[in-house]
Amino acid sequence: MNAALAVRNLTVRFPGDPGVLAVDGVSLDIARGEVVGLVGESGCGKTATANAIMRLLEPSCITADSIRLGERELIALDERQFRRLRGRDISMVFQEPLTSLDPVLTVGSQVRAVIVRHGLARGKAAREAAADALRRMGLSDIHHLMGRYPHQLSGGMRQRIVIAMAMACSPAVLIADEPTTALDVTTQAQVLDELLRLGRDNGTAILLITHDLGVAARICGRIIVMREGKFVESAPTEQLFARPAHPYTVELIRAVPRVDQKPAEAPPPAGDSLLRLEGRRVSHPLRVAGKRRRLVAVKDVSLEIRRGEILGLVGESGCGKSTLAQSLVGLKPADGGSMYFDGRQVTGGQAAAWSRVRRQVQLVFQDPRASLSPRRSVGQSLIEPLDHFGIDTRTGRQARVAQALHRVGLEAALAFRYPHELSGGQRQRVALARALISEPDLIVADEPLSSLDVSVQARIIRLLLELRREMGFAVLLVSHDLAVIRQLADRVAVMYLGRIVESAPADALFENPAHPYTRALLSAVPGRAAGKPGGPLAGSEPPSLLTPPPGCVFHTRCPEAMNRCSRIDPPEFRVDHAVEPLSAHRVHCLLHENTH
Amino acid sequence: MSASVAAAPAARAFRGIGRDRWGLLGLVIVTIFFLLAAGVWLGWLGQDWARAVGGRWEPAGTEHWFGTNLLGQDIFQRAVYSARTAFEIGLVVALATTVLGAAFGALAGWRAFSWVDDVALWVKGVLDSVPFYLFVAALAYAMQGRAFAMHIAMILTFWTPTARLLRAEVMRLKAQDFVKSAQAIGLPAWRIVLRHVLPNTVHILLVQGTLVFVAAIKTEVILSFLGLGVQDGVSWGLMLAESTQEVIAGHFGNFLAASGFLFTFLLGLNLLSDALQDALDPTMTRRRGRMIKAPA
Repeated sequence: MNAALAVRNLTVRFPGDPGVLAVDGVSLDIARGEVVGLVGESGCGKTATANAIMRLLEPSCITADSIRLGERELIALDERQFRRLRGRDISMVFQEPLTSLDPVLTVGSQVRAVIVRHGLARGKAAREAAADALRRMGLSDIHHLMGRYPHQLSGGMRQRIVIAMAMACSPAVLIADEPTTALDVTTQAQVLDELLRLGRDNGTAILLITHDLGVAARICGRIIVMREGKFVESAPTEQLFARPAHPYTVELIRAVPRVDQKPAEAPPPAGDSLLRLEGRRVSHPLRVAGKRRRLVAVKDVSLEIRRGEILGLVGESGCGKSTLAQSLVGLKPADGGSMYFDGRQVTGGQAAAWSRVRRQVQLVFQDPRASLSPRRSVGQSLIEPLDHFGIDTRTGRQARVAQALHRVGLEAALAFRYPHELSGGQRQRVALARALISEPDLIVADEPLSSLDVSVQARIIRLLLELRREMGFAVLLVSHDLAVIRQLADRVAVMYLGRIVESAPADALFENPAHPYTRALLSAVPGRAAGKPGGPLAGSEPPSLLTPPPGCVFHTRCPEAMNRCSRIDPPEFRVDHAVEPLSAHRVHCLLHENTH
Repeated sequence: MSASVAAAPAARAFRGIGRDRWGLLGLVIVTIFFLLAAGVWLGWLGQDWARAVGGRWEPAGTEHWFGTNLLGQDIFQRAVYSARTAFEIGLVVALATTVLGAAFGALAGWRAFSWVDDVALWVKGVLDSVPFYLFVAALAYAMQGRAFAMHIAMILTFWTPTARLLRAEVMRLKAQDFVKSAQAIGLPAWRIVLRHVLPNTVHILLVQGTLVFVAAIKTEVILSFLGLGVQDGVSWGLMLAESTQEVIAGHFGNFLAASGFLFTFLLGLNLLSDALQDALDPTMTRRRGRMIKAPA
């Protein structure tokens, strides 16, 4: 048998009262050069499995019949011997690239340290080897890069460096624990491909741990599904998706929101205009090298939301989508353009207009742990907007709290509990209940699903659609996740570097994306991509908002950039013949200059 | 995840300390001293501290447990009475600095990097850079030896660490989404600070308060020893000052009583504040009877 890694009957039990059985007797084989995905929802024991194999847990928690790395039995090794293996024969990549690099050492010295530590090279040769490891990961300008510190680099660069370090000694086995979860989709796609290529070149066996079936499907030959400490199914990727054997796998696959799947419901007929932005601009004061400057996070954005409509706002991190969302309720002051709410203009100074907006526009945040005050009970959090807006009588408010909880599928008794006593899904339901309790016209939801497991996500998506039908509110849904947008949004606006580059009804945008950036986003979605395939993006990271490129902001990464693109800031073009201005397909791209 | 991660601080502290043997010892010691002080307050204990009840420098015995001093006063009674003095100073200084520190810290943290913050920072910087004993001496002189000069000096200088800690915590909390959602419905800032921000800093204020309590008592001893402290009444510091002459002459009563009481009390307070810190920190978890930092 020539498995690179063979695990037999591995069990992890965390001490405590009553103690947690995190991994319950799992066995696994990975052949040389094979890429195996370990997929499961949070808390299922996938990370514990990885840490146990790497012996990063207290040894007393781990029991196993056998963990073999090639011909070597790892269980028999003492700590000193094991340490010699880590990083050389078996290495690991963690999720958060910011914390897995030492902030006070340069990139070069960190990569070199691995090589020197394992005695592969010394001095100048080690430097060469380090540069080579970085080059193999697809990084360029190595000499300059090696002298830099982690904080000077973007997340994608940092994760590439972490992987380069892990692969520097050409290990037999690489365990990657959610290596791309913290990255944007376009970056994620590139990093995954590079990881795959590097594994293939070296014949490294890769165990990829992820919560995202799409990521696993993209690069893994075989997928293991884990649940409550056990492996429930293990099958070749094609077979797993085509003929899932275990009911949990079926449930998991069904729960994953897909870009290539139309939502079940047709959007409701659109109402009148509820909120309209014209030439909106939001900037943050900033001090760069002692000089005061303004970082323009949102530039010249115009958009409109109608009553009862779900508008998806999509873009990669740092594109200004959250800033735009927060400026709608005055959390970030806008410094240009105008905003109309329900037909009336809302300007900075008018307190009355703002107070109406604040009552009618409610926020839902990404992390429900942070959006509920830990020291206030659910009931106290829910009643606060009612108290503040003076809605209903005192007893009426109590009834409304119970009703609001009921509406989101929770029991009224939950009002007396504290946020830490609830699960993630329950907390997000409470956050939703709080937003809905004052019966607003518009919900601004900033990544409301990204911190939840897929099965919970699917339930919240259904709930949100149901409530929208019942209560008729509009939603501005901010998300980086195109699949979530596809399932929820009626209309979509795509944002890049502080600007909206394309907006269209959801079907039109997903089936016929017009902007090269939208196409790149869609083709980067892990799993089965939809729509016209876009070319790969040139340059891995978006430019800084402080120094936006001249002309079209996207031209530096655009696969279809023309000479003129660096000079002309493209105005809006229509791609369709729709009469109704709101359902128009608009794009800011010179490629469409002559369409109409 | 442990269920007690963010339970109400009082309940958490109680449960935490109940399972911590050293913390429990601290709690017992502090309670005994508190009962002594309360007894003095109510007029049940130590009332004869100022009266000559025996001869000069009587040795320790069943009647006078630590003997008598130069004036024939009972040293044990004086030591017990001093517990009240210590509590008075500790409580007054701890409460006042906590209020001051919380107010300045919250203001500076909420309006971080604004002119308010700059002013607060400047005030803190000035106060922190004055040599403390010189400051007390100057204040005592300026106030013509009034009894509370010492209190004021301590309050004016001891609030700065609390304010600094709180500023950082408030800045952190202000960036949290629950504060943003309170802002988004238009709650006024003072209401958000009082209702959402400060309650989430209680663990810091409590621990910082006990630390100031200890610092105030220690400082009182030094100030009284230097003659800048307690003016009317008696304290362990005054007793120690008295004892410097006596120890040379072979009378150890004052020295033993004052330092023994002081040491025991401070030990108890330190044990308690350690245990309190662990019990209130939501990131600490108990494993095999010891508090450890919980894994992320």
